[in-house]
Amino acid sequence: MVDPTNPPSSRAPLVWALTGAVPWLVFAVLQLGWAVADQRLEWLHVGAVAVTALGLLVSVVIAPLWRYRVHRWDVSDQAVYTRTGWLVQERRIAPISRVQTVDTYRGPLDRLLGLANVRVTTASSAGAVHIVALDAPVADRVVAHLTDIASLGTEDAT
Amino acid sequence: MTSTPAEPAWQRLSPRMLLVHPLHEALRELPLLIAVVVFGSATDNSVWVVAVVWVIAVVGVTRWFTTTYRIEPDPEAGRVQLRSGLLRRKVLSMPRNRIRSVETDTRLLHRLLGLTVLRVSTGQQAAGDTVFELDAVESSQVPRLRKILLAHTGQAAASGPEPGRSAVLARWQPSWLRYSALNLSGLVTIGAAMGALYQSGAWAALQDSPLSRTWRDAAERFGAPQTAAVGAGVVLAAAIVLAVLRSALTYGNLVLSRSFGVTGDVLELSHGLLRVRHHSYDMRRLRGGTLRRPLLVRLLGGARLDAAMTGVTGAGESSVLLPPCPRATAEQVLTGLVADPVAVTGPLRRHGPVAARRRWTRAMMLPGALGAGLAVTAAVDGVPVWYWSLWAGLTLGAALLAADRVRALGHRVDQHWLSARTGSWEQRRYCIATAGIIGWTVHQSWFQRRAGVATLIAATAAGVKAYRVLDVPEEWAWSVAAQASPWVAHSKWAR
Repeated sequence: MVDPTNPPSSRAPLVWALTGAVPWLVFAVLQLGWAVADQRLEWLHVGAVAVTALGLLVSVVIAPLWRYRVHRWDVSDQAVYTRTGWLVQERRIAPISRVQTVDTYRGPLDRLLGLANVRVTTASSAGAVHIVALDAPVADRVVAHLTDIASLGTEDAT
Repeated sequence: MTSTPAEPAWQRLSPRMLLVHPLHEALRELPLLIAVVVFGSATDNSVWVVAVVWVIAVVGVTRWFTTTYRIEPDPEAGRVQLRSGLLRRKVLSMPRNRIRSVETDTRLLHRLLGLTVLRVSTGQQAAGDTVFELDAVESSQVPRLRKILLAHTGQAAASGPEPGRSAVLARWQPSWLRYSALNLSGLVTIGAAMGALYQSGAWAALQDSPLSRTWRDAAERFGAPQTAAVGAGVVLAAAIVLAVLRSALTYGNLVLSRSFGVTGDVLELSHGLLRVRHHSYDMRRLRGGTLRRPLLVRLLGGARLDAAMTGVTGAGESSVLLPPCPRATAEQVLTGLVADPVAVTGPLRRHGPVAARRRWTRAMMLPGALGAGLAVTAAVDGVPVWYWSLWAGLTLGAALLAADRVRALGHRVDQHWLSARTGSWEQRRYCIATAGIIGWTVHQSWFQRRAGVATLIAATAAGVKAYRVLDVPEEWAWSVAAQASPWVAHSKWAR
């Protein structure tokens, strides 16, 4: 199998970086509070700062860029095909004839940046295909195209 | 109310439930009841007790008056409906053509009164409030109701009631109990009982009793190691007895049969000595099965059989077709169901040296780390020799598991069936109809990419939903998928 070809939105790394940064920033704020309240155990503070810095580096720089190189998607008349992940990578394909629902979902950050995710579900809970971080117009086009060719609900698709 | 003459009347459950409901209600409110009895005897005021018992009984009785059901006559467009609730009324309604299976369950009290609980399920998973359960109808009504509810599954529903052909696939034998003897569930039960005893404070009371003092004296005379050995023996024996007893009660009198009749091709399973359960499965929902051979059962030459059906949970008791039984029986039954002996017992294609190396690396990680730790400790201030012998035993066990895992690993695929086998402690071999596979995932961790292997996951709507082929060489992964699913082979990405 050749890999799918379409990349996600060019703003995808940004949204991944912001999402990845949130827990580490919370952690950093807690650390700052701790440092102000209690200056003993200096080595522990230094260690915690190092861990946070490393976490920020990985989740804000490395993971989003890596992800952007891996994430690809494609839709044909017979199947939806995606490639996702960074450390752990997955290629997933589902036949259009067995698709049950097609929808988009957008988190607050997605909306801020004009992105949308497409979710294509089948009767198997292990088989849902997600095309994440698309430009909103692209996502709408994909959904329209998929609902068009999927002829949803004609059989029970199990 | 807009009721047309064609609409069927709402029916009540069996009036005998008037006896069962108050008792069940009392059992459910047992803590309250105990509290009231204690309070009543403390204050010498038995009026309270009588009042509360009355309220509980009346609430139980109203359940019968408020619960009604009806089955609309048209098997395709009609619905089945269940109304219940005293203050909060609810109506559960499902289209009749969506019914996939009918189960019955007869607990002891129900059985004494000739009653049966009937549960109807569609493809969706239902829990709690959304379970369509008729609790309970008279047992004599069950065959009639089942026939009505499953009428749409048969092609010949209109041709009248003809005695269907029926074949028994497997019948429970007392000798099957030997496979349950090595089940760990007995130990778990004992552990739970001990925990409860300890928690409730009964343990402390026991320790001060004269009985335990005489026991302790006897133990001292006997010697500590011997006492410990005897204690362990007693616990083990009790665990075996409990496990066998539990298996006998749950699976005793099991009959698995397949009938072709007015209701179509249906698989029927009934089991239980005291509490009798009966399931009917529409064979068109069958997508394969899993032969499970846990190490302790495998040592005695046994196997269990789980069904992979759409609309039936893949794990746990609801998918069990056969409890631990002779391997030949389980294989024979599965072969009969999938009508393809090669998918069930045919030779498997091995996954090669990389997959084998990964099994060994994983198994040796813990012994390796422990060994390194021990070596460091020994260099610093020495460890007793028996630590090392313990470590050697652990390492040997891990090595045996790894070797067994390597031996088990394999898959086979053709255009009709995908089969694969994995594991040692919990070995399983499944076969899944390729027509039921509705998605493929090729999953690779960083280590797997470096080693050039991948885990292939077939998604289905049946059984455990995700069926894995572990650590196949990555160049095989898509060709396995392509062999099973023409829509993969003919996709524009296939080379």
